[in-house]
Amino acid sequence: MSAAATAPTATSSTSAASRGILLMLLLPGLVALVITFLLPLIWLLRASFASSTMSAFGGGDLTTQSYSTVLFDPFYWRVTWNTLVLGFNVAIFAVVLSYPIALFLARTESRFRGVLTALAVAPLLTSSVVRTYGWMVILGDRGVINSTLQSLSVTSGVIKLTNNSFGATVALIEILMPYAILAMLSGFGRLNAQLEEAAAMLGANRFKVFTRIILPLSLPGVLTAALLVFVLAISSFVTPRLMGGGRVFVLGTEVFNEATVTLNWPLAAALSVMLLVLFSSIILLYQRALRALEA
Amino acid sequence: MADHHVIIDNLVKTYPGAQKPSVDHVSFSLPRGEMLALLGPSGCGKTTILRMIAGLIAPTSGAIRLDGEDVSSIAVYKRNMGMVFQAYALFPHMTIARNISFGLEMRKVGRAEREERVRKALDLVKLTGLGDRKVSQLSGGQQQRAAIARSLVIEPELLLLDEPLSNLDAKLRDEMRDEIRDIQARTGVTAIFVTHDQDEALSMADRLAVMSAGRLEQIGTPREIFDRPQTEFVASFIGAGTVFEGKVTEHGLAMVEDLKELRFVGDAPLGSPVKLMIRPHRLRLLTDAGQPNRFSGTVEHIVYRGQTLTLNVRCGSRLLQADLPTHAGMLPERGSTVTLSVAPEDVTLVGQVSP
Repeated sequence: MSAAATAPTATSSTSAASRGILLMLLLPGLVALVITFLLPLIWLLRASFASSTMSAFGGGDLTTQSYSTVLFDPFYWRVTWNTLVLGFNVAIFAVVLSYPIALFLARTESRFRGVLTALAVAPLLTSSVVRTYGWMVILGDRGVINSTLQSLSVTSGVIKLTNNSFGATVALIEILMPYAILAMLSGFGRLNAQLEEAAAMLGANRFKVFTRIILPLSLPGVLTAALLVFVLAISSFVTPRLMGGGRVFVLGTEVFNEATVTLNWPLAAALSVMLLVLFSSIILLYQRALRALEA
Repeated sequence: MADHHVIIDNLVKTYPGAQKPSVDHVSFSLPRGEMLALLGPSGCGKTTILRMIAGLIAPTSGAIRLDGEDVSSIAVYKRNMGMVFQAYALFPHMTIARNISFGLEMRKVGRAEREERVRKALDLVKLTGLGDRKVSQLSGGQQQRAAIARSLVIEPELLLLDEPLSNLDAKLRDEMRDEIRDIQARTGVTAIFVTHDQDEALSMADRLAVMSAGRLEQIGTPREIFDRPQTEFVASFIGAGTVFEGKVTEHGLAMVEDLKELRFVGDAPLGSPVKLMIRPHRLRLLTDAGQPNRFSGTVEHIVYRGQTLTLNVRCGSRLLQADLPTHAGMLPERGSTVTLSVAPEDVTLVGQVSP
């Protein structure tokens, strides 16, 4: 509170010299961003307009051919649609499953809170490739679930749980849950035990306290988590590829295919730009929603 | 006592794992419409008592009676008490009007009546027309008023206030002090507030309950607490004072080492050791030679405070603090000798010295 109040006066009184120091301090970061983010992005845009893989980084004619493929080929419409569906499903389930965990971690007064938080996000320490293989062991045709069901004679045949979008969705939900928990924990700043006590004193039972106080106040955190999980899900490649067994087509896997298998770099670049456009529109929606929440 | 509105009966709270109870067999009661201050240093258990009355924590043992009925096992949301939190705890995602109307919505009060009662509550706390504001658009004092309106609009059996003025600056604090007192008097609600500030307690409350280390030290009107403290803790916690130990040599007279003899009013057996306290502002510069309780000493330190002059006078081995009203011509100097006196009625017997 006091820091926020003094900050504007501090900046207005800064001289040109200290502004110079500020710029100097920002410089390394800016340079790194330009080299690692801005320049590759410009190359990507350039490549998406190239006529062939050979001329992706210079020379040759510029053409919008890759974009007409992406925009008018029904296959890529389906790929984009698949990607969005996967993203929404993963975001919704990951957020719903993570919400109670994050709420517990935010509200607990246990001295093990730090340990529990670390445990909740510990899966991040393992590569998502390893965790995807883990899910293949569980969901595979001869995996834990199928063999258990068969040995109990519940089912006779194999239930297809992998090599389809179901398997990819399940694995992505679990893999992205730690991100959802972390995002929600940092977004639950407005939650406050005293507000819940105040509501209870005014006659609200536990259910009403949750629906009228906790839920509305935690929505910014929920939105942030949903956005983060959605963005990570639609850009994911390893999990849809491995769990989908080559039968799940999303933008991530298609970019990989065009770049490494078909060697059509302009198309891969155009698909990447498509993904970027999706990201930006989702982020715009998110900011609208957040502003509406805070108003 | 038995017909009092609120009766706190032998309330005990021991937290799990704690050696000593945080609240140790505390009993007191309030008639309808009274304002009681729970006063004590931090950690004395006053907030724990308030939260037990509210139902936010469960007592280990004891009863909380409202109109004779024990409410200590009734859930917090069914108790119908209003609480003003130290940090106000206004809901940040609602307007002021929605905040105030929240308790009425929980009680399923119809929309038209809700709006009418919210409007009246806003009028009561002088926030007329500010109902549509967001919480963050209100100043600290306004938020305080909104919190009071929110807790009063439900017409609570009992109003509880937790350190109600501690988040306000000094000027606003004086204003809100009168304001809260006025609102409480107008609504006639029975109220208990917690504070560590003796000025706040003395000026706002009908009666004070002074607490120390989980126990109730003394309960009484501000005047009783200030002028007739029953324990040394109460004497030293409320107001300043210099405490002397002495021995009673005849009725109302004690021999005190540094002041020789000190006359006091109060009952203490002959020959018993006593503690006597002199408040700085009850000392006078001696004018009439015939007065009892005269002490001469050297002025060691002078602080000019405008309305009063604070002198630290060395009497034997002790420093006696005196707050004297200033007037033209009264200019004692450092190092000069002055004679002070105090009326026997103003010497407070604060307790027997344990032998």
